[in-house]
Amino acid sequence: MKQYLQMIIFVLVLGLVTSLLLVGVDAWTEERIALNQQAELQSAVLDAYEIEYTIQQISDIFNENFDVVEAEDKTFFVHKETGSISFVIEGNGVWGPIVGVLTLEDDLVTIRRITILQEEETPGLGGVISERWYLDKYVGREMEPELIVSRNADLSNPNEVDAIAGGTRTSEAFEIIINAEYSAYIEVWNTLNGGE
Amino acid sequence: MKLIRLKYTKWFNISKNGLSQNNPIAIGVLGICSALAVTNRVENAIAMGLGVTFVIVASSLMVSMIRRFIPPRVRMVTYMVIIATFVIVVQLFLEAFFPIIAAALGAYVGLIITNCIVMGRAEAFAAKNPMRFTFYDGLANGLGYTYVLILVALVREVLAFGTILNYQVMPDGFVNWTVMAMAPGGFFVLAIFIWIIRELTNNYELQQ
Repeated sequence: MKQYLQMIIFVLVLGLVTSLLLVGVDAWTEERIALNQQAELQSAVLDAYEIEYTIQQISDIFNENFDVVEAEDKTFFVHKETGSISFVIEGNGVWGPIVGVLTLEDDLVTIRRITILQEEETPGLGGVISERWYLDKYVGREMEPELIVSRNADLSNPNEVDAIAGGTRTSEAFEIIINAEYSAYIEVWNTLNGGE
Repeated sequence: MKLIRLKYTKWFNISKNGLSQNNPIAIGVLGICSALAVTNRVENAIAMGLGVTFVIVASSLMVSMIRRFIPPRVRMVTYMVIIATFVIVVQLFLEAFFPIIAAALGAYVGLIITNCIVMGRAEAFAAKNPMRFTFYDGLANGLGYTYVLILVALVREVLAFGTILNYQVMPDGFVNWTVMAMAPGGFFVLAIFIWIIRELTNNYELQQ
């Protein structure tokens, strides 16, 4: 009986000590990790306009060039010079969430740039979704009436784009995400600017 | 006189064991998974090596510190909890201060926990030895792992990208060996290294 008691006490103390250590480290790094994630998002938006920055001053450069507009629960990053917008798109991929940044031209229809911040797709197949050469295929495509990601894409139609070879389900998921997020954001944006 | 005595000190032998005689990768063939995966660039190899070294040293020290209190029945669980804790510490640290390296290493930082070297040192050494020797042992094994990783990465990065630590070293006309950036390249280079180190330390697996 006594040894069981000792074992339980040992496990409890071990759990307590390790948890305290982790809570401490988390408190120490939390702020910096949040800043890094913010910098990643900001760099995705800055890249769309080919604005140069360094990691140290990314926040200042971002605030110089962009206004952050919040409406309902949506956040828009508005380029001060051209008035065109970027926003975060988010949804379910095949294995996990896909999070990215979509930047539109000032006509609010043409894609200027897409960056994927987070994905857990199959490496080498659906994982291609985050690679620049693939995302560059979206540049100049149009979101109206809706973007079609298809393996038989007819590129003479401005709203069609090639799917990922070997990543059919990821392509389908991404098509749903980008269209759903686009219409949700544009609706909010239009109501916001309805009076103008 | 002192130099000759050095050979008989315990810490010298522990260090020699970790670095060459019983090098975890070359002789023990432990921790191969991460050694193949992250050695495509030198900076990844350095970060991974230091991360593993820290986890080995810290977890071994903690195991050694409480070795008299660990109930035999739950000792494996205890090692796992301690190792997992330090792995999370390394992961948070990299994400906070070296986000680019953290992104490049991806899942492999979290997978330090499955690195056999860490568990192996806890069970084989830390659980039976006082803290100061455990410290040498952890450090020697961690650095033994690190230097093999860096040497493999040096060869692979030069051949695969023509660079070392992202500085161009190969002439402009150099054609990159793409295979070196992928897992098969890691297998070739690592196998050659293991061969060389085993020749140098006269370590042969004799048939019984």
